[in-house]
Amino acid sequence: MYRYDEFDERFVRERVAQFRGQVERRVDGSLSEDEFKPLRLKNGLYLQLHAYMLRIAVPYGTLNSRQLRQLARIAETYDKGYGHFTTRQNLQFNWPKLKDVPDILDLLADVEMHCIQTSGNCIRNVTSDQFAGVAKDEVEDPRPTAELLRQWSSLHPEFVWLPRKFKIAVTGAEHDRAAIKVHDIGLKLKRNAAGDVGYEVIVGGGLGRTPMIGKVIREFLPKDELLAYLEAVMRVYNSDGRRDNKYKARVKILVHETGEDEFRALVEAEYAKLDGPTINAPADEVERIAAYFAPPAYDALPETSETLAKARADDAELDRFVAQNGFAHKVPGYIALTVALKEIGAVPGDMSAAQMRAFADIAERYSFDEFRVTHSQNLVLPHVKQDDVPAVYAALKAAGLASANAGLITDIIACPGLDYCALATAKSIPIAQSIAHAFADPARQRAIGPLPIKISGCINACGHHHVGAIGILGLEKGGRENYQITVGGDASEHAALGERLGPGIDAEDVPGAIEAIVDTYLAEKEGEESFIETVRRTGAEPFKAGFATFIESRAATASEAAE
Amino acid sequence: MAKDHRAGSKVRGDKLPAILMASHLLEGDTVFLTDGDWTRDPSAAKIAHDAETAEAMEVEGKAAAAANLVIDPYLVPVELTDAGLPVARHFRDAMRQKGPSVHKDMGKQAEFQPLG
Repeated sequence: MYRYDEFDERFVRERVAQFRGQVERRVDGSLSEDEFKPLRLKNGLYLQLHAYMLRIAVPYGTLNSRQLRQLARIAETYDKGYGHFTTRQNLQFNWPKLKDVPDILDLLADVEMHCIQTSGNCIRNVTSDQFAGVAKDEVEDPRPTAELLRQWSSLHPEFVWLPRKFKIAVTGAEHDRAAIKVHDIGLKLKRNAAGDVGYEVIVGGGLGRTPMIGKVIREFLPKDELLAYLEAVMRVYNSDGRRDNKYKARVKILVHETGEDEFRALVEAEYAKLDGPTINAPADEVERIAAYFAPPAYDALPETSETLAKARADDAELDRFVAQNGFAHKVPGYIALTVALKEIGAVPGDMSAAQMRAFADIAERYSFDEFRVTHSQNLVLPHVKQDDVPAVYAALKAAGLASANAGLITDIIACPGLDYCALATAKSIPIAQSIAHAFADPARQRAIGPLPIKISGCINACGHHHVGAIGILGLEKGGRENYQITVGGDASEHAALGERLGPGIDAEDVPGAIEAIVDTYLAEKEGEESFIETVRRTGAEPFKAGFATFIESRAATASEAAE
Repeated sequence: MAKDHRAGSKVRGDKLPAILMASHLLEGDTVFLTDGDWTRDPSAAKIAHDAETAEAMEVEGKAAAAANLVIDPYLVPVELTDAGLPVARHFRDAMRQKGPSVHKDMGKQAEFQPLG
């Protein structure tokens, strides 16, 4: 993975010193809250319902054991002993004190981490495929591109006060695990007819109050033109994006209001004016970055492991874990393992300091000292020898990290919601917990198959509800929390926005409604169809009917109770 | 930047009785106005039963914000328990009086007597 050079180290340390000065001036009263707020947000520091919250960047979701141990230390010293992995592959601490934040930033800098641009109207942490460098369907590893973009976008003087926040995702694989069609810019590494590697450039996707699927504005951009072309996109957005209305300020609105063709023409016109060679990264710098992502020193192994096959035959739990959480590795004899932070009843994405330390040991010993954070709030051990899987499973189990539900109905994405967030209109974590409890039976989960449920506690959609196969949006209605349910959302290459099934319902009715939706799926399912495939074929109508029946039965029960 | 969503003010009808809630600048913790000071204990919050007191508390809150002691002070409509303790009428403010519902071991609920 990437290691800081002298320049990176100085850059991050200077930013820590600058923020320390800003905090000092806030504490001594030289800065008012109105003055300080945009400054603290630029460094990932929010003020939430109960405390400050610090969001730490995990560039393209890649971490090593030393960094995780440092996060465990910070969690125990300055927080309440845990951290929370987010849907943007970052980590949040929910209880830091303002005066401690500069010291936390210094500890982060010690392990090449920071909070730069994890909030504010700037280019945020670049996200990527959690199986980068692992997946068989990959044209090229997306991480060197993501790292290049991180360096280019960090405190880029022209793009630090954009109309609104800006999120970029990169994938190198055919199957999109990075949700590139619902980002401000999505990049897909591809080959053209001549066999050259370049990018498909997608602009104007996004979720939030106005969800949109991004538009392809360049079918093929030669790889070495990336930065200049993106600079052209950013210039058009920076100049023409709306600053009069926060809710219409994202680039998706600009693309939508300008029109796809006109927007493309504006970008191409801007691009033609730019002096590409002065903007694009020099080839030796691109190579320097790429060298950090060279494959680890894999052993030459047979395709499959007899040790693992025997262990799976002897241990049904291990067998289920590998079947559900294992991901095929491009190198023979290796496997990637998803470690779902989704034990039944747990808070999605939460990890205790003890678990961090245990997991750091596992990653160091069994996965070339590297692991990934996924946008589904899970972790991945990317390079595990199949022979080592039984030992890894035992170690994960001892740390309470061996939940065999990756991708199943209990592997739920949930934003922090009203339990923490100052913007939330309803709780989301307890909804995830109640659904997980209702579907806790592992055999039943497997019978239902892959079913991503995504929950947001407000319209801003941090829980990505629009692209959940089942999406749940918590709102306030008449002084109560109320939940709207959608089906058919998809964050993959088949990107689609979910369709609402009917009126909003109370929190206690959500698990029952999900049962009704699952029953509809199982009744409508043809052959081996997954939930989303069935919805794609049937449309939302049968699900609306099943939902309506559920609502009627609930109303009948309520009126009986009233009598 | 637009102001953060503030649900407390959405309570319909009479806004009294009320307490004044804010975030402590250094700690980030939720604090409540008492007689001339701030407390972290939700049971110790001063209660305004009339408009004049509420207005005076709001003025006091604004002064504390200007003095960089607290952030975002606002009046929170409450209902009184039989013991006379103030429970926020809006669920968002009630969450701030207690702490996260998913972590009963954290926040005010872990440190102070429950309100009701």
